[in-house]
Amino acid sequence: MTELTRESTASTPEIVADASRGLLAMAGDSYPENSYEFFGEIVRWVEEYLGQREDALRLELRLAYLNTSSVRAMLDIFDLLEEAHKQGREVVVEWLYDARNERVAELAGEFKEDCTFPFRILPEEPAE
Amino acid sequence: MTGGRAEDHLLETVTELLGDPAHDNNPLRDPLARLLELSTGQRERLERLVRISDGFHQIAREEKRGLAEECDTHLRRLERLVRISDRYQESLREISESLREEALHDPLTGLGNRRYLTERLEAELERCRRSGAPLSLGVLDVDHFKAVNDRLGHERGDRLLCHISNLLADQLREYDLCGRWGGEEFVLVFPETTAEEAVAVCNRVRRTISDTPTPDDLAVETVTVSIGVSTAEEDPDGGYAAAIDRADRRMLAAKEAGRDRVTGPPA
Repeated sequence: MTELTRESTASTPEIVADASRGLLAMAGDSYPENSYEFFGEIVRWVEEYLGQREDALRLELRLAYLNTSSVRAMLDIFDLLEEAHKQGREVVVEWLYDARNERVAELAGEFKEDCTFPFRILPEEPAE
Repeated sequence: MTGGRAEDHLLETVTELLGDPAHDNNPLRDPLARLLELSTGQRERLERLVRISDGFHQIAREEKRGLAEECDTHLRRLERLVRISDRYQESLREISESLREEALHDPLTGLGNRRYLTERLEAELERCRRSGAPLSLGVLDVDHFKAVNDRLGHERGDRLLCHISNLLADQLREYDLCGRWGGEEFVLVFPETTAEEAVAVCNRVRRTISDTPTPDDLAVETVTVSIGVSTAEEDPDGGYAAAIDRADRRMLAAKEAGRDRVTGPPA
């Protein structure tokens, strides 16, 4: 199980996947040129983590803008979490948003809709 | 009595009779026993056949239901994907809309900025060229503004500009346009308006500004403006820059003539 980190770029969010902490963090805007490639390794990491370990998994998301293929990839990841949750695994999503931008919270709500695992949408005061 | 139960009953009776020692010597006993055996075997085969056949039916039905469910799930997912994606797109559209707004407006006064004015002037000039309608414009400069700024500071100077821009926006007619050209200079655009009419409107604007008391805390008793007016007809092939230039020179002439006045094209 490897750690996966990616610096943020103009079109991709920062990624920190740390198996030892049971954490997958994503922050930024996402409209990668090749979303299959970019999200492929993230989806694989989640699959491996859930498949090889017994520990809980927490997603910490600070995503502001997602293009269509990124939305699709996130739905894929949430499907994996849903499946794991149904098998009794402890999974949780925390979607943090800039308190000044209610819009992001509404969109996170759309993602949450079909999920039965804990999915928290939390406002965050912007760092000055 | 149903068919099945009648058959069961008959079989029971036959089994009982065959088991009764009193019938041991009956010549029908042996063939009857063989018939019963054959019938029981066939019944079992039939039941197995039905069971297997039902099983296949069940599998087919479950498969079909599974496919339908899977299809539904995919459809729901796709609908969500579209819905979420549309909302992201909508928020991008709004951002670009507000950026466009910002790019065309002066943040201090809320009026259109130089970019807005040049865009509109080009469009209006083109329009009046096609229709043959007159077009006038005015360049307005606040009198002694630098002195106010130096004496009272930029913050009050800014508020004085806002005071003037509010009056401007109030005094213009529905189709007139105005914006901040830069510093203490404003440009007024009067579509379908002759020079005489434009001068009249500018004089009304000028009087309103000099007659309206400034906010008390500004510590400026009165404020006046000088305006130069030009028209597109003066130079039918010229661009907006030339028209602004003419109005600008007249505005300077109005200043030299003592300020608080409007100078139009020579009659």
